Amino acid sequence: MKYHVHFYVNGDAYDLDVPANKTMLDVLRDDLFLTGTKEGCGAGECGACTVIVDDVPLNACLVLAPELDGVHITTVEGLSDGPKLSPLQQSFIKHGALQCGFCTPGFLMSATALLNENPHPTREEIIDSISGNLCRCTGYKRIVEAIEEIAARGQTAETQE
Amino acid sequence: MVLNGGTDVVIQLRDRLINPEYVVDIKRIPGLDELRFSKEEGLHIGACVNMNRLGGDENVRTYYPFLANAALSVGSKQVRNRATCAGNLINASPLADTSTPLLCLEAVLEVEGPDGKREIPINEFFVFVRKTTLQKDEIVTGIRVPYYEGAEGIFTKVSRRNKVDLSTVCSTVMKYAGQYRAAFGSVAPTPRRLPKTEACLNEGPLDDARIDRAVELALSEVSPIDDVRASKQYRLDVVAMALRRGLESLG
Repeated sequence: MKYHVHFYVNGDAYDLDVPANKTMLDVLRDDLFLTGTKEGCGAGECGACTVIVDDVPLNACLVLAPELDGVHITTVEGLSDGPKLSPLQQSFIKHGALQCGFCTPGFLMSATALLNENPHPTREEIIDSISGNLCRCTGYKRIVEAIEEIAARGQTAETQE
Repeated sequence: MVLNGGTDVVIQLRDRLINPEYVVDIKRIPGLDELRFSKEEGLHIGACVNMNRLGGDENVRTYYPFLANAALSVGSKQVRNRATCAGNLINASPLADTSTPLLCLEAVLEVEGPDGKREIPINEFFVFVRKTTLQKDEIVTGIRVPYYEGAEGIFTKVSRRNKVDLSTVCSTVMKYAGQYRAAFGSVAPTPRRLPKTEACLNEGPLDDARIDRAVELALSEVSPIDDVRASKQYRLDVVAMALRRGLESLG
């Protein structure tokens, strides 16, 4: 059985008929081809699939597709303005806060959600807000530093027009 | 199968541990997301209130800080934006983090089904691992938590890593009107109060000998197992530590 859902991703409206046994993550990746959002564990432990739904970070792997109806989603594709990266994305590059890059979209979304809610988080608040994201390459020091730079500037994480 | 926050159900569906004919999402039923407090009526936690909302609520932080700490100890920020307190209880894991504060607070589950409404005191709710007295055609609509003037409590969670982990042992020690209550998770098939331990603590003034005796009784009232997270002996040691430290800090 399929369910009709109307929802928004990165400001674009979508109308789809989705099966009940798909997840939000499957729809984003397989139907909308927004493959920036990754599937790591598929069980809400690694945070690779983190997206911002109605202003809060969620694991897209734990949301069923019919629940998409009426929600506004921001994925990592929505952070940049064409080739122009968001300040947070630029800071990740500057600080070398990635290696293989698989976890990066999830970290960016967790940090963006935090900075949108609280432009000047403390180091402790930063660490707490990314504790649901696992990185197996670099460790977390440079990721924290990349977020701290934006927190110190008080610039919102999303691209400034 | 009822879908609420989905942080347990979606994983069970994915792993084919459950194969329900229908999954019914209750999140958009009006009223189930209510969270309200008054000293007269206590705290009402609607079934769909998520852990971040519960743990961040000013009244919960003021009047039930150990419940707030338990709620915020669950999973990650992402998980807590979905996971609900009601779901945490209904999932009936032996290590459900919000179960031990709610056992000490003698919370009541408000239940609704085809035969109308009924209430289940939390100490009659858990039956076994993942088994409760909730019937198949019933849903929990909310949790009522009495208000205890001047109550204090200590929630302790010991896990392999500090964040985003399941409890190896979780516990709450509470003091209200000079009387102690203690509940432990992950040390028996269900989270549970420790009545003999509490009786000992409530017989007379809290001195070192009484604490020693209470710890001894506590170890006789739990039955932990060896599993992937810890050995039985480690869990027994944590029970002793958590009870002792809880009592010492409550005084």
